[in-house]
Amino acid sequence: MQRMFMRRVGLALLLMLAATALTFWLVTAAPGNVAALIAERAAGAGADGEMIAKIADDLGLNDPLPLRYARWLGDALTGDFGISLRTGKPMAEEFGERIPMTLALLTGGGVLALVLSLAMGIAGAASNGGGIDRVLHGMALVGASTPNFFVAAMLVIVFSVWLGWVPTFGVSGLTSWLLPWITIALFPASVLARVVRVNLQDTMSRPFATTGFAKGLTRGAVLLREALPNIAIPYMTTFGAQFTLMIIGAIVVERVFGLNGVGAFFIEAIRFRDFIGMQATLTLFVVFFVSINLIVDLLAMLADPRLRRPRKA
Amino acid sequence: MTAPIYQVEGLVIDLYTPTVSVRAVDGAGFHVAPGETLAIVGESGSGKTVMTLGPLGLLPEGVAVDLRGTARADGKDILAMSPAELSRLRGGFFGVIFQDPMSALNPMLKIGPQLAEQARRFAGLSAAEACKEAVSLLARSGIPDPEDRYDRYPHELSGGMLQRAMIALALAARPRVLIADEPTTALDATVQAQILALIRQIQKEDGIAVILITHDIGAVSVLADRVAVLYAGQVAEEGSAIDVLTAPVHPYTRGLLASVPDFRSENATGTKEIPGIPPNQAQLEPGCRFADRCELVQPQCRTHRPPLVKVGNGTVPHRVACPVVIAAEGIVIHV
Ligand SMILES: Nc1ncnc2c1ncn2[C@@H]1O[C@H](COP(=O)(O)OP(=O)(O)OP(=O)(O)O)[C@@H](O)[C@H]1O
Ligand code: SF4
Ligand SMILES: [Mg+2]
Repeated sequence: MQRMFMRRVGLALLLMLAATALTFWLVTAAPGNVAALIAERAAGAGADGEMIAKIADDLGLNDPLPLRYARWLGDALTGDFGISLRTGKPMAEEFGERIPMTLALLTGGGVLALVLSLAMGIAGAASNGGGIDRVLHGMALVGASTPNFFVAAMLVIVFSVWLGWVPTFGVSGLTSWLLPWITIALFPASVLARVVRVNLQDTMSRPFATTGFAKGLTRGAVLLREALPNIAIPYMTTFGAQFTLMIIGAIVVERVFGLNGVGAFFIEAIRFRDFIGMQATLTLFVVFFVSINLIVDLLAMLADPRLRRPRKA
Repeated sequence: MTAPIYQVEGLVIDLYTPTVSVRAVDGAGFHVAPGETLAIVGESGSGKTVMTLGPLGLLPEGVAVDLRGTARADGKDILAMSPAELSRLRGGFFGVIFQDPMSALNPMLKIGPQLAEQARRFAGLSAAEACKEAVSLLARSGIPDPEDRYDRYPHELSGGMLQRAMIALALAARPRVLIADEPTTALDATVQAQILALIRQIQKEDGIAVILITHDIGAVSVLADRVAVLYAGQVAEEGSAIDVLTAPVHPYTRGLLASVPDFRSENATGTKEIPGIPPNQAQLEPGCRFADRCELVQPQCRTHRPPLVKVGNGTVPHRVACPVVIAAEGIVIHV
């Protein structure tokens, strides 16, 4: 267990290193010249070749790629991600303002996906082929096949434009979070609801479920107390994967609902060829991906008594 | 003879899956009295499990069950019960031991607390008493160091120990009828005898009724008071263990016993398998189910279902469903 734990952590660190190196290489290889952009910003149209060359030299842009990556990594480890070419503010400051927004979006969406998927999956399994099961199955199918920009548009039209219940843009108070949360949670909730439903059904036909019935439990009790703990591991793994994918959903949702989060910043960074901003944001995404997967892996290990307490030979 | 505590009559069970429909049990019945052990024997697929667990609603989910007949537990009709009533009966009146304890015990649940919960819910003990009871049940089931095992998960115990834990779990609610569905099939040969001895000891001590489903004729001869031989969902022969094992009448019972090595050595004809395979229970012909494999088959066997009739006049009724052998050997029928 201890060793497996250390191995996972080590692997995660290695993965982050590899992924940031890859994005660094891709971003620097992209067309566009950082030095030219900086010069332009400083001197407007008066920027000449000499000035650009000097800036490139000062920033070490002519050094070999591995050296530049190492320098970038060293800075990044101290929390210095450079200065955004677009906003002119240090990336650390940008992140400080924007991460809370994105985190609120992801956390709310994640909790909603968790609650919805468990409720839908369990209700479906309890109904076991009945009307509720079929309706929920249909809903999950629709939810898993509707693109989030479309969901967002529909929600805004109905709840903001028609009913006027929530603002169309920006956040002010809890109700304004509802539409972004629903939009971002719909896809993962639908996928996860199917995972719950299918795994519960499979588990209910296993011999230990029969033992549960033989113990005198009602079907509902067997479902919740005997079957549900057994789907924890597949559920957690899929939840981790879906939660990390939500960062991609966040890019769209933040734009549509006018949230000043990291996702919206990323889109702007691409549009303005803000290489520093792109690299910093991608690094943040990589760290998010890898650490969420690591946390989920470790939690799943803890949830499984066979891994938590391996049998002594 | 004591009155039966659990009695099933005229049971018909049809199973439907999306691809097949099977008449798994076709007009079979059995009964068992307190302190008595009934063995149910028959080939794989003959319907032993479905017949015994079906009336309790213990068939795995995913197969639709159509069930007719009567089943009385302590005089109460269990087929007419609501799901909630039947749940309580399953927990408290019946204790069930399954074939493979590795898959029959929930891998995510500790052993001891499950026993304690049964004792609390069905034997009416307080939480503290139930915990003590669980430990003593584990000890009684022959599990060494029961306090330690109380907090163990199934994967931390060996197969034999798990089956003992399963037995303890079945007993925790102090059931009146213990059903053991091939309790030793998945275990090592040395452990098998220990588990059977444990079941026998428990039955002696508690005087409960035991239904033992088994392929193991040796186990039948050691444990059973009465035997029911099941063939293709019907009872071919039933009676006291002595009658059925030493004076079998039905050609299927005779074949089954002859296929067991070293059994009834004085007149054994060597081990031989019964030729042929059981009928396809999805498309049943009228008449005797055994006709296609029976050396004594007569034309009327294929058209008329042989009734189960009482032969001999022992205190324990011996019933056989083969008019041909009864007539040929001049066996006296009792009404
Ligand atoms: N879950 C199921 N789905 C479909 N058919 C089933 C199912 N369980 C049992 N059957 C069918 O019902 C019949 C009786 O099966 P049952 O399990 O009672 O036999 P058994 O005598 O207990 O056999 P074994 O000795 O192998 O346990 C068989 O024809 C079998 O194919
Ligand atoms: S009734 Fe006929 S077919 Fe059936 S066992 Fe007897 S002799 Fe054989
Ligand atoms: Mg069986």
